[in-house]
Amino acid sequence: MKKQWLVRAFSDALTVASSTSFTRPFCSAISSFPVKKVTKINFDSALEALRSHVRDADFVSVDLEMTGVTSAPWRDSFQFDRFDIRYLKVKDSAEKFAVVQFGVCPFRWDSSKESFIAHPYNFYVFPRKELPADGPSYEFLCQTTSMDFLAKYQFDFNACIHEGISYLSRGQEAEALKRLNLAYEDEVVNSGGHLKEVRDIPLVSMSDVLFTERMKNIFAKWRNGLLHNRDGWSQFEGDSNDKKKFQTIFFKMRPALALNGFTSHQLRLIQLVTRKHFKDLAYVRVNGEKSSEQKLVVYTESKDDKDLLVKEVKDGFRKEAEVKIKAAVGFRHVIDLLSSEKKLIIGHNCFLDVAHIYSKFLGPLPSTVEEFVSSVHKNFPYIIDTKQLLNTDNILQHRMKKKGTSLSSAFALLCPQIASASLNSGLASQLCVKVEVQVDDLRSSNWNSGAKHEAGYDAFMTGSVFVQACSHLGIDFKRHSPSTGLAHNEKLQKHINLLYLSWNNGAIIDLSSGNKITESSGTQLYKKRYPKIVFSKIVLVWGFPSKFKARELRECVSKVFGMDSVISIYCLDETAAFIQFSKEEFVSDFLILKESLDRNNDPISVLHPLSKLLEGGNTCATSYEVYREICSSPISRVLFADQAEAVGIKWKTKVVESREEVETQELESREELESTTKESGTVNSILDPPPKSGTGKRGDVISDPSYHNFSCDEIMDALYVAESQLGDRTRTTNV
Amino acid sequence: MVAQFLQRRLFCSSSNIPQWSVKQVTKSNFSEALKEIRNHIRDADFIAVSLQKTGAFSAPWRRVLPLDTAETAYCKAKDAAERFQVLQFAVCPFTIGASKVVAYPYNFHLFPRDELSIGMPSYSFSCQTSYLTSMAQEGFDFNVCIYDGISYLSRVQESTAKDRIANPIPSTHLMKSSSTPSVADAVFMERIKSRVRHWRKRCKDSSKGTDDALINSLRKLIVGSEVYGSRPCMSIDVCSERQVHLALEMLTEFSDDLVPLIIPDKGGPPKAVRVVLTSSAEDKNLLVRELESLDEEQNKRVRGFREVIDAISASQKPVVSYNCLNDFTFIHSKFLAPLPLRMDEFMCSLRLVFPHIIDVNHLLKEIGPLRKATNLPSAISYLKRRFFVPLDMEIPHQAQGNESKNHGHNVLRITYLFAKLSSVLKITPHTIQTMNDHLTAVLEGYTNILNPCSTSIQETIDEEAGVWMDNTRKVSTKDLVFLWGFKAGMSSGVLKSLLRGSHDVFSEDFEVRLVDKSCAIVVFWRPGLAEVLCGVMGSGTSVSSVLREMISEGLRVAGYEAYKRVCGSDFWEVDLADSFDNALAEPPHEFLAADSGKESSEIYLSSDFVINLDDL
Repeated sequence: MKKQWLVRAFSDALTVASSTSFTRPFCSAISSFPVKKVTKINFDSALEALRSHVRDADFVSVDLEMTGVTSAPWRDSFQFDRFDIRYLKVKDSAEKFAVVQFGVCPFRWDSSKESFIAHPYNFYVFPRKELPADGPSYEFLCQTTSMDFLAKYQFDFNACIHEGISYLSRGQEAEALKRLNLAYEDEVVNSGGHLKEVRDIPLVSMSDVLFTERMKNIFAKWRNGLLHNRDGWSQFEGDSNDKKKFQTIFFKMRPALALNGFTSHQLRLIQLVTRKHFKDLAYVRVNGEKSSEQKLVVYTESKDDKDLLVKEVKDGFRKEAEVKIKAAVGFRHVIDLLSSEKKLIIGHNCFLDVAHIYSKFLGPLPSTVEEFVSSVHKNFPYIIDTKQLLNTDNILQHRMKKKGTSLSSAFALLCPQIASASLNSGLASQLCVKVEVQVDDLRSSNWNSGAKHEAGYDAFMTGSVFVQACSHLGIDFKRHSPSTGLAHNEKLQKHINLLYLSWNNGAIIDLSSGNKITESSGTQLYKKRYPKIVFSKIVLVWGFPSKFKARELRECVSKVFGMDSVISIYCLDETAAFIQFSKEEFVSDFLILKESLDRNNDPISVLHPLSKLLEGGNTCATSYEVYREICSSPISRVLFADQAEAVGIKWKTKVVESREEVETQELESREELESTTKESGTVNSILDPPPKSGTGKRGDVISDPSYHNFSCDEIMDALYVAESQLGDRTRTTNV
Repeated sequence: MVAQFLQRRLFCSSSNIPQWSVKQVTKSNFSEALKEIRNHIRDADFIAVSLQKTGAFSAPWRRVLPLDTAETAYCKAKDAAERFQVLQFAVCPFTIGASKVVAYPYNFHLFPRDELSIGMPSYSFSCQTSYLTSMAQEGFDFNVCIYDGISYLSRVQESTAKDRIANPIPSTHLMKSSSTPSVADAVFMERIKSRVRHWRKRCKDSSKGTDDALINSLRKLIVGSEVYGSRPCMSIDVCSERQVHLALEMLTEFSDDLVPLIIPDKGGPPKAVRVVLTSSAEDKNLLVRELESLDEEQNKRVRGFREVIDAISASQKPVVSYNCLNDFTFIHSKFLAPLPLRMDEFMCSLRLVFPHIIDVNHLLKEIGPLRKATNLPSAISYLKRRFFVPLDMEIPHQAQGNESKNHGHNVLRITYLFAKLSSVLKITPHTIQTMNDHLTAVLEGYTNILNPCSTSIQETIDEEAGVWMDNTRKVSTKDLVFLWGFKAGMSSGVLKSLLRGSHDVFSEDFEVRLVDKSCAIVVFWRPGLAEVLCGVMGSGTSVSSVLREMISEGLRVAGYEAYKRVCGSDFWEVDLADSFDNALAEPPHEFLAADSGKESSEIYLSSDFVINLDDL
């Protein structure tokens, strides 16, 4: 279920069905025509159609398919990830993987039909390199399991790679234009200046000298012919070889010689000859038909005329290059459209999707979540996440009967008449808002593409879920049509611009303010209580002997610090784990003890219970801050221990001073938390400020009343979560 | 991609070889193809290989360049091999007779699917867009590859996987334990012996008895009896390797009709020994055979395509390739083991698996002027023009119906080229065999891997390419410096003219070439000048105003040692200049610092080497 968002299915049979012979414009029976498939072949026309659909739309739902989600198992989202780390993980994912399919589905309310009209589009996207010599984004990562998963649902990789629509981000476009301008200015400057385009080649070989001489003669004859005698060129007629190589044509109203069949070296010599010996001849390169380059020697009347010609040619090049850059913008036109129309965007668990949109089509992702969020908000002022909507609203929770909120189960529950494609679902269908689908000339109100989980269809499902959710929230489309602005509807204000930063522990971020909230309703996936996570009480350990699992770790550490010293153990992967202590001071105690055991090799150290953990001599330990450093590295090794090594960590034990800014950030979020706590009671996870200094002072015990209240069961639960998370490698975030 | 297109065109026009048919292998016909190719490998004189990858380099300067030493070339090739993925692996066992080559080309489609759900062979891999695009233009079918590609595990992965996939391991051979059993051992043995005896007796009895099903199943429940296939079996829990050993020992002494199976635990020592009761000696043999074939099936599933690599390795036949360094770093990292840090370790490790590797590129150099042929098709056409070598290529495969999906022709080009070269150079399978005895000759075969220039960087073809002027000069790496921080977009010519006269060291002849758009290399033909320049730039004294201005604008310099460090580091940027800045900001890496010493290597620089920046 968790992987379904990566799914894409495309049935050949359905492609056949879409052919025009199968036109049933207003059929009431179950129809199964495919979502509109857009590749580079029909992109321009589809974009035009989409423009008008988006303009008229009340909201637009989107969905993305990528080549992968996590670049290493430990890059998955975990309980023990702080807000900043969660963003770093999303950032890593969006930067490394490619978007291969982009679903866009505008929804418009038709008051005459009392129904929404949806226009699902399925864009195949591929970051083809359209411009020469460009940046680093032309390499992308594929997660093997994700690719395999796409394959299982018959994702058409050929369509994607052969015909996918390419794109340039705004940043890339600006960069390309800047480079073009630079090159243009340089050329303009250089053409008159001392830096010559062609280096003087010393004519060393005899053949070069002879060739140059011959060319000089030919050009002189040709020019004289032009000046004195209209038929001057006829002298050449005899030599069929020369006739083929020199062809008199007109170029920009001037007589010119087109040069054919010369080597680049010879062309260089020709260029030198024209410049040295003929004031009124200009050597130019132009792009002829079929984009083949043509070399010309053009006769000009004066120096001014020559400069004018050169400028004309250069402007021509520049124009052409600009057109090319504009064309290379490609799929980003769709994003620009969504952004400029300021429509309400609907996604399902879409934080990662938004990050992908940002990094692919706007520019490089900012380093902090705050900057990211404010920049997103400027470009997309209204975003609603249906998963957030379904999970936090009590009415909808009731309606959902507390079932899972994955896209497909929400769709099945809220849109039964579409999902089951049956007309007689009785009461349920009457409650539902009607949604009619239109793809080209095909229309249906009971539409089932049979291609669930392709981006276009997923976008449609997301939009349909949103429509039904609105109706359950009491928004009556029939009474006041949504044209007044769904984004401003007061019933949706509680949900607008709130996205799950991480679904699995309910971390929510408000795009409009940058506030971070931990979901507080009791309706979360985890209904049990877990020890709250206090980052200052956490030690990160890695590189320990492979036989160590959570249980062994706990036993080993408990032997030294006491039975109830360890609140929970959380395994990142088989090489690394977090240990949360009951007291902050244990963190420094642990690190100091470990360091001294590492240093000393005497029998007492060897027999120390903690030595078992240090066997192999590769065990490293540190406080929580280093985790952030390791996550922010662009490197991704599969195992965490290898990652730490690759990142360049050479020490074995380190206590890191916590940085002030992080501290304040956490304090703020805590305030936020407390306010939500008052409202609704239970809090699943509370963020405490990190210690002022990692080497916590002895005796200065920060009392934490929660830690000794945990029963054995709760600790076991925590362990269970740790283990289950570890096993669940291929999971994705759009649950 | 233009180059590839031209390759194809050149190739078609230059050799009138009829439509060659390469057998395409996917998951569905792998088993049968494996059987066939094993036989062909056994009968072959040589085996040609050719790989289709998802990419080759992540930044222009990450290509193997003429300025690379063997060690830096290896670093680059290693990085590419770890980053990218092999999608097609073409293998062609062939024999060379008198003017006739008999070839059996196979093209295996690969995909690193996680068949066993253990996160192997590859968690993720990179794709270079331009590579995929040009593959698409050649008609590559990505769907076939990703849907039906054959998976694999490397040798090292297989041994780790063995622990993780809990499959019963039949224990047929058992070594007598040397140590004397302790009291605990004796107790353990007695206990399980009585359990087994009891169980066996029950099984024998019940097989005769006519009890109804309920009683039978109740009895099974009480005795702890299970069923393995149709045969009764029981499990003995063990908690150490020692106990496994004891149990096996006891069982062999106990009775002939018992077959023990070791049940491994995930990632730990075995957790149980399962005992299967057979009804007779024939039945026992049958079970043992069954288990063996099961094991083989399992191996096939685990090793996948690596069975082909193992078959090539086991045959000890010479392997012919066009781009040895790149291909064999891929082969090593995907099918053998993770690549070692240093080139010599890599060579050792590779030599153990493939004792004879022949680089066609290296052979081309033996033929003198031909050495400048820049790619396979141009080499073939050049050879055709220069030497008259009548050669028949016979491919006994039946032509396949679907010719449009016929990939992997490069392996046939390699075969063809090698056959021609070997006839020119008088290499026969026999001489290769005798070469075995001459270590030097064998090493000679390896030098091609060491020779980074063999990976032709000048794949781009313009009008004059194909054969280029021979004017390479030997340069010591000590006489090379890297310059960066000059004005963006500056050409090497402009840079050279700026440098000339800016300092005494530039008064003599020197060369400037761009390595990528951000960084240039300066070659001094007189020793010692490089050091002087580095010193001068460092101190900032006694420099001309031109140079001072350039330095103030950010011009920086570094010697070859820094380049080595950059190549070996995990942290590098798309622009070489940024990589240098990063590397110089950090203290020298211990490994390389220790290694670099004072020795310098020599590289061969062609005076007209130009690095095409648009080729990424």
